[in-house]
Amino acid sequence: MAERRETLKIIGAISATCTFPYTGNELYGQHADPHAGHASGKQASTGPRKFFTEAEFALLSKLTDLIIPDTDTPGAVKAGVPGYIDLVVDANPEHRKVMREGLAWLQAQGFAAMDQPRQVALLMPLSEVLDKGRVKTLPERFFRLAKNLTCDGYFTSQIGMSETLGFKGGSMMANYPSCEIPEH
Amino acid sequence: MSQQKIFDVVVVGSGPSGGTLAARLARQGVDVALVEGGPKLNTRTDFNTHAMPYEFANRHIPTMKPGKPGMDSQRTRGAGGKSQTWNAVAWRFSQRDFKGKDWDDGAGENWPIDYADLAPHYDSVEREVGVCGNLDGLTDLPDGIFLPPVPLKCSDVLLQRGAAKLGVKVIHVRKATLTKPKSGRPACHYCGNCMAGCDVAAKYNSYDVHIIPAMRQSGKLTLFTDTLAREVMLSPENKVTGVATIDRVTKQQGEVRGRSVVVSCACVQSVGLLQMSKSRRYPTGLANSSGHLGQHFIPHFTGGIEFLLTQLKGKPVGNDEGFLDHAYQPSFMHTRTRPYARSFGAQFGYQNRRGIGWARRFSGFGADFKNAVKAAYPAYVVWSPYGEKIPDGRSRIFLDEKNLDAWGLPEVRRELNWSDNDWKIFNDMTNWGREIVRASGGEILEVATEPRPNHELGGCRMGSDPKSSVVDRNCRTHDVDNLYVVDGSVFPSASEKNPTHTMMALAARTADHLAGRLKKGEL
Repeated sequence: MAERRETLKIIGAISATCTFPYTGNELYGQHADPHAGHASGKQASTGPRKFFTEAEFALLSKLTDLIIPDTDTPGAVKAGVPGYIDLVVDANPEHRKVMREGLAWLQAQGFAAMDQPRQVALLMPLSEVLDKGRVKTLPERFFRLAKNLTCDGYFTSQIGMSETLGFKGGSMMANYPSCEIPEH
Repeated sequence: MSQQKIFDVVVVGSGPSGGTLAARLARQGVDVALVEGGPKLNTRTDFNTHAMPYEFANRHIPTMKPGKPGMDSQRTRGAGGKSQTWNAVAWRFSQRDFKGKDWDDGAGENWPIDYADLAPHYDSVEREVGVCGNLDGLTDLPDGIFLPPVPLKCSDVLLQRGAAKLGVKVIHVRKATLTKPKSGRPACHYCGNCMAGCDVAAKYNSYDVHIIPAMRQSGKLTLFTDTLAREVMLSPENKVTGVATIDRVTKQQGEVRGRSVVVSCACVQSVGLLQMSKSRRYPTGLANSSGHLGQHFIPHFTGGIEFLLTQLKGKPVGNDEGFLDHAYQPSFMHTRTRPYARSFGAQFGYQNRRGIGWARRFSGFGADFKNAVKAAYPAYVVWSPYGEKIPDGRSRIFLDEKNLDAWGLPEVRRELNWSDNDWKIFNDMTNWGREIVRASGGEILEVATEPRPNHELGGCRMGSDPKSSVVDRNCRTHDVDNLYVVDGSVFPSASEKNPTHTMMALAARTADHLAGRLKKGEL
């Protein structure tokens, strides 16, 4: 973005809403069909698997559950995250490449046969590089994408919003309550 | 749709400006045609107001329900225009906002009108549509006629205390949203998705609050939806005679004729419509003898800081959506020594809570990561400042004749330059934001690094001198006696305050002016 500081020639619409964070349009699959699904109050089905093979999907599922596991609330797989990732990745050629190659890399490490501590140990260096903002290699890019999409998918899922975060918006209130926070 | 009828006034655009103006005229017995490029909507049933992201496979909540048209392009938003999806923040401009050039040593431009000229119209708009807020007694943010304000959120209370340590005030936001039932509209129920279309019209929208009642009660307002204006028609006698139109669906051409025309299609599209209305007399666009049409584009710019309030981490989650932002930090820098002209204000947390992209930035993975996001959830706030852009001589609105849209009309483009003054405000407001967050006990997650445009203003600026402005103090074009422009495009300076209330007050004022001229037989 910084290279556009001098003059911005804005083509098309200026969004009138401030959309934090600045993560581009892959957030929440905005580039996928905007009219997919209907409001029903329930979590929409992502339909049959579109992109991943069965083996890839199994590997991806394990990975998402390591990123957001079952705790006192259900984790990524129970929240339907792998199906969401399948939908988003299918609609994005760059994501398709990173995911396919990344899962092949994971497979080549013998990930599926590892016990959980070894799986975590394999991912830990990738996560540390991501946290330092120094992502370069394919496995690092793959892990970043998997974590980003797992976050998006989980925290917008019914389980993620209602059970884990405890979302209380979307309410019907006669009056908005005052906040009572003592000065000290 | 060709109409043989000649209306008194043809208003183009049914948003907050056009809607207010058309309804006011109709109620005074004036025959009004309201021409809207978009479809008819049913506010009650057509928006996804109460949807959750997980109800959609891709987690993106579309504005309209399946099969319902509307809000799909700037030219064809739908009945009510942007007022259907605005956030309803409603400030009165102050005398300082109208006379910024005098205030800031010659920077920018003065309005040719004063606060006193608009004050009665702010009054009447507030009485009519309902604006909630607190009486704060601030010189720079005039009080009005308010419904009760909505209590501050816990995050607002902490920020108010933090800002107070720095001598900075935080007040209740003022919004054109009902906190008590009024004129058949219910009070807000705090579902938190105001900008997705308010299905009960507790939040003002021009269609439900102005247009529909005026159509029913006066019988003088005719609404043409799906009717795109492609040209304002001009007679050899230098009078406008109506608008040439295209049907949004069938693409059939037609006309709506009138004794006068008001262009109110939201800043950029209003400028575009005049620029498309070329003639031998006005080769660069209607009413552009000054050459200033499209110039002086002065949108607000935002920055922002995302942060966590430490004191709220791990606390029980409440309804933090409310009616989006509940608090506001009014401009305070205009009274302090500063190395730039104008100033900024800020809103707190006006985004809904239905997506948390910020979770991506938390470190690690696994149970600790999940629990950290969960604990942070009730503590997350966005501070969104708005800076005032002064005209920079470069930023402008223009037609792209090479790229035509689905109706064969040229795309309207913006060229936007960030001037030194803009960057100085941006950097200072960002620094102030950091200080306020720090003083409130916040941990910063992310800081915006460049300004982003918002609230489009300018392009048909109002002024006393026909050589350097497009419309006069009554929003009438200097060049054509029966052509008016009423919306954000006429703002000669932008203020840092959200602009819609001022557009509505201008619309009310222009309606009275037009009705008076019609009564005198001047049109």
